[in-house]
Amino acid sequence: MASLDELSCAQIARGVADGSFSATEVARASLDAIDAREGEVQAFLEVSRDLALAAAAETDRRRAAGEPLGPLAGVPVAFKDNMHLVGTRTTCASRMLENYDSKFTATCVQRMLDAGATPVGKTNMDEFAFGSSTESSAFHRTYNPWDTTRVPGGSSGGSAASVASGEVTLALGSDTGGSIRQPASFCGVVGLKPTYGAVSRYGVVAFGSSLDQVGPFGRSVEDVALAMCALTAGGRDPYDSTSQDCSVDFLEHLEDPIEGATVGVIPSLMEAEGLTDEVRHAIEAAERALEDQGARIVEVELPNMASSISAYYVIAPCEAFSNLARFDGVRYGYQEPGCATLAEQTALSRAHGFGEEAKRRQMLGAYLLASGVYDQYYYPAQQVRTLITQDYARAYEACDVILMPASPRTAFRFGEISDPTQMYLSDMYTISNNIAGNGGVSVPLGLGEDSGLPVSAQLQGPAFSDRRLLRFARAIERAFDARGKVAPAFAGKGGEL
Amino acid sequence: MLEDWEAVIGLEVHTELTTLETKLFCNCRLSHDDAPNTNVCPVCLGMPGALPVPNRKAIQSIVMAGLATNCQIQKHSMFYRKHYFYPDMSKNFQTTQGPVAFCMYGHLDLEVSGEGAKERPDGVETGTDTVSAHDEANPVVVHKADDGSYTVPIRILRIHMEEDAAKMVHVGGEEGRIASATESLVDYNRCGTPLIELVTEPDLRTPEEARLFMEKLQQTFRTLGISDCSLESGSMRCDGNVSLRRRGTRGLGTKTELKNINSFKSLHDGLEYEIRRQAEVLEEGGVIYQETRHWEPNRKRTIVMRVKETADDYRMMPDPDLAPFDLTDDFIEGCRARIPELPDAKRDRYVSEMGLKRVDAAQIAGDPATAALFEEACSAVEDKVRPTVANVVVNLLPAFKGLTAAQVASVSGLLAADAITFAQAREVLEAVDGTGEDPAKVVDERGMRQSTDAGALEPVVDEVLARCTDQVRQYREGNRKVLGFLVGQCMKASKGAGVKGNPKLFNQLLAARLEQ
Repeated sequence: MASLDELSCAQIARGVADGSFSATEVARASLDAIDAREGEVQAFLEVSRDLALAAAAETDRRRAAGEPLGPLAGVPVAFKDNMHLVGTRTTCASRMLENYDSKFTATCVQRMLDAGATPVGKTNMDEFAFGSSTESSAFHRTYNPWDTTRVPGGSSGGSAASVASGEVTLALGSDTGGSIRQPASFCGVVGLKPTYGAVSRYGVVAFGSSLDQVGPFGRSVEDVALAMCALTAGGRDPYDSTSQDCSVDFLEHLEDPIEGATVGVIPSLMEAEGLTDEVRHAIEAAERALEDQGARIVEVELPNMASSISAYYVIAPCEAFSNLARFDGVRYGYQEPGCATLAEQTALSRAHGFGEEAKRRQMLGAYLLASGVYDQYYYPAQQVRTLITQDYARAYEACDVILMPASPRTAFRFGEISDPTQMYLSDMYTISNNIAGNGGVSVPLGLGEDSGLPVSAQLQGPAFSDRRLLRFARAIERAFDARGKVAPAFAGKGGEL
Repeated sequence: MLEDWEAVIGLEVHTELTTLETKLFCNCRLSHDDAPNTNVCPVCLGMPGALPVPNRKAIQSIVMAGLATNCQIQKHSMFYRKHYFYPDMSKNFQTTQGPVAFCMYGHLDLEVSGEGAKERPDGVETGTDTVSAHDEANPVVVHKADDGSYTVPIRILRIHMEEDAAKMVHVGGEEGRIASATESLVDYNRCGTPLIELVTEPDLRTPEEARLFMEKLQQTFRTLGISDCSLESGSMRCDGNVSLRRRGTRGLGTKTELKNINSFKSLHDGLEYEIRRQAEVLEEGGVIYQETRHWEPNRKRTIVMRVKETADDYRMMPDPDLAPFDLTDDFIEGCRARIPELPDAKRDRYVSEMGLKRVDAAQIAGDPATAALFEEACSAVEDKVRPTVANVVVNLLPAFKGLTAAQVASVSGLLAADAITFAQAREVLEAVDGTGEDPAKVVDERGMRQSTDAGALEPVVDEVLARCTDQVRQYREGNRKVLGFLVGQCMKASKGAGVKGNPKLFNQLLAARLEQ
């Protein structure tokens, strides 16, 4: 008897292909684990039991018929609830879309299905991805599998927690300012935000269109690499005019040594206010581990990095205001009953359909885009964006990747951060990468010396160097032996094959 | 009163790219006639998660429109989002262009003649009101001819691309009025239709110029094949901005915006009314409010639709879902290569190569279907018949539904040879309209063909001259009018002689004989 907790994606796909177990058995193991663990984790907004079993049955039928199986055959996967999957609701964890049925399937979701994955459900998130703790979900909290008194991070907290708790093997999240890398770090799993354009955004409910990027969570770098193969297979998505062809074999150079490579570190970031000692020590350990494997450590600077949070909190709310304008209760979504006029219906549907943070960001965006204000904020923010992009380009002349924390601290307690601007600082190490459009990956470094909670390193790379990033992430993973671990409190609960 | 005031008119013209197959940002079929909300998809319905993908052919169309109107094509431009909350725009923003449009700084030259030319008094210069950098590059010079006609360039500030809104129908209460409606229905079939919006500089000075500009624009866009340009159906829509100023001054007065213009006549008459209205208000010391006014063609007046107290804040921002455009030279040259001969060039060629009258040439060249038929008919006749073909095309063709080029050529040949009269030509065309039948056959069947053989007619002329000695004397004494009587006598006599008379030829023969 095997446990789903112990199996990598490749092992599942191989097991399904060689008949060691069926896709249906794997799907049942995942649903079983969800039954056993979900009460304490609450990672899901919807468990798509029927879809999962139907997809698994189809995989088994294909095998029986001798048809080719995908590289993710039978792998149970969860999707953040801002991704459309026909047969499920897509709520964005908002009252506004509480009963919204997906009208089409997102390209990223479809590509996972095309690779043979089994869709197990839709995961909790901060409402419309506004947040860093998943606490702004309109429906319920998600609990950090490593310490259920703590948040899983956000906004893709449900996806991170579903993988960390062993409910699923893979999950997709979206990252606008750190929403994959920060929860991956809090939950001790691998999370990749690919380069902007590498994965299609079609069918993913937009937050900040110029910043949003879909990426995978897994318990190992190899699993994440396999998911990237699926997400980029087929090349550019004609339905997303900002997408690009990034179809390479992400496994090909995964185990290649990093000897002779150059890793950049940014001294000022290691002294930043708010960075805890345990995280700093862990990053220093990662630096040594890379050095031990033959990499050269060089100091680089991103002179305008300090401005990235300011620029982000101009650009992202402006785009959010614009993207969320369509939610007016006319065609779909929450509609205030009993209104006498259209204006009243629009105003009240929005007032009662959106939560606090969603309203805060939209009002901020509406203000920042107003004539007269635009020139003072939006335009300079775009200039800062250019400067940060140039900073990165210069830094990558001197190094292959940059090593830094994924988050300044480990997972915090529910309600611990109530000031939104303090919450925004959770993303201090991740945001600049979205501003520049580059890729970044969170990779676990084990547990923090003080908190005993997961700590992660973040590796950032130039645009379209996502395969390289995974190779360096694998080097860290090798050194820290953090591969494939389900949070101990949940390991072994259900999920037997 | 109107002599003291000068009108300053600018037009905003929206043209639907009706000849495209699909919408601007999705693959939905472009058709407004289908059942409501059948040509829709997640993209044009603004469903969450949907993304726009620009229609390459639409970009091609606007670049062609820009090249044909002498615009500078901007290689770098992008789409913006213009926000307003109203159900006719499914995303609550319209995707349109920002400060830089695909096409900037062009012009169309107007030729104004006849009665229309009198609307513009002498000494009026257009290009004195500096509106943009555009002026420096395109000085406006009015060329006035001795006959009062003139040529004036009308500058085009920009042509940008945007998407059309959905159609809304307000039901209940007074017909079509939103205020008393109990329900509003939305049809998203039109939502996302590619529109190009052309904005002129305020260079127009008379309603006639505005009408001619629209006519020329319609001809140009139809020739390009980018739209059916129907004012009636609304695939071409025009708003007129008009203000007055005292003649001789240069500033701009407060303008009003004229809407509901669905014919060339409405444009002319609406502007004419509005100019008179404003002049009366100003003469009495009143104030013009910046407002949108609705033209009521039946009551021949404009009424206030909306007063603009403050500028709307549309919170324009670059659209992050659509990458900025970087048009290549190849793309632009490819568009240029697709532009057929434009009406002005065609008109000039008809004049210089075919000997047409300028006014006829312009009329034929203005409509691509007419021009094509004309040229096909010309290719089937001798060169000297071409002016007759033009005559038929200008004066007869519009009255018929389905004449072919071959029929036009045939009837023109008969006319040029004096085998039939113009009135007979009309009768024959009526008989063959829509049948494809050769007019010559009908002429023969009905025995219409007149003799063109002078030798056969001479004896008739001899007989009449010998008989009508009084009239011959009167003619020789200077009464030229009696020639008509003599022609009539010849026609009558020719019937008896078994010859098919030909009044034109009789005319010539009689005149020649009487002048001897």
